[in-house]
Amino acid sequence: MTLAAALLLLLVFGLLVFDWATMRAKNRRVLVLETAAFIAGAFFIAFPNRATELANLVGIGRGVDFFLYPTVIWLVRESLLTRRRRLEDAELITQLARAVAVAESRRIGGSAQSGGAPPQSSGDSASITT
Amino acid sequence: MTTVPAVSAVLPAVAILMPAYEERATLGPTLASLRAASRDRAHVTVFVVDDGSEPPLEIAQELAAPWLEIVLARHPVNLGQGAALETARQLALADEAFSAYVTMDSDGQHGAVDALRLAERVAAGADVVFGDRFAGGSNVPFLRAAVLRAARVFEWAITGLRLADAHNGLRAFSRRAIEQIPIRQNGMAHATEIKQRVRRAAPLVVEEMPVSVRYTKESLAKGQRSLGALGILHDLAIQYVFGERET
Repeated sequence: MTLAAALLLLLVFGLLVFDWATMRAKNRRVLVLETAAFIAGAFFIAFPNRATELANLVGIGRGVDFFLYPTVIWLVRESLLTRRRRLEDAELITQLARAVAVAESRRIGGSAQSGGAPPQSSGDSASITT
Repeated sequence: MTTVPAVSAVLPAVAILMPAYEERATLGPTLASLRAASRDRAHVTVFVVDDGSEPPLEIAQELAAPWLEIVLARHPVNLGQGAALETARQLALADEAFSAYVTMDSDGQHGAVDALRLAERVAAGADVVFGDRFAGGSNVPFLRAAVLRAARVFEWAITGLRLADAHNGLRAFSRRAIEQIPIRQNGMAHATEIKQRVRRAAPLVVEEMPVSVRYTKESLAKGQRSLGALGILHDLAIQYVFGERET
């Protein structure tokens, strides 16, 4: 086993131990899934030739590419979904902040010369359209 | 304070949409110049939207006048100039029917007289009047001018609207126009978005008018940086990719 493989295995098991110690109560299903994925990952780290054999079966040269390609595709998709979600959240925050601003808007001074203006009181306000 | 209110006609009700963020030193003088310029010439309602300044901006009662009302709203968090303009737009549309809606900065760069002149053009029949700082004798710094010239070409390419200036916050709209121009870009990309919407709206009479934009050390330190153009491109690209959200 190479030094890199040993360090990766150490990292994988270290993360597993940490996650079981800190998240056990609430996230048991996630932890079981994570453990299964990590054990599979550890197996292929310890026995890279098995990964290469698997890759060759589907026409990919290296074992590491067999895992890398789908991981990159998944990460790109995840990144786009996260970005979209962030924009939606920002839009909601904008609407909320705007609703507060409109509801608490107040009029300072002036007169009723030009009809139609809301009365001079705090919290008068205008319905908003978003 | 402006003492030469050289607006030629008596204007009916004008709405000024004014975003403000931490403009503690300049907001008061800007409102005072509007009060001076509009006296006997227009009934002005200024919709000031404090975009989450800490502590909140305060406006002295004395800045208002019988011919100048001020509506102050405050975002509980900082959202960006585009978002503040949109809040002001919605407040103004829910208020009375104004003859013109003018967007104006609160950092002292824009002149009150120019704002009323733009409103005057709208009252005379234009739907959208963009300020042109290059024709108005503004002291535009060299680098800023270069970036704006490039932005002008970029905006022409993506909006089809060929104007002499870009990202000038001093502009005026008719009600018919502003109703068709909701602002979804919270940040500085709203200036390009406005042009896109003007182009896509029902046929509008679009004009440009010389205005003077006054650059001071303070406004340059606080205002948009030239590198901000990259952020604007990013925001426009994101909007292009993810489209406009139906809300």
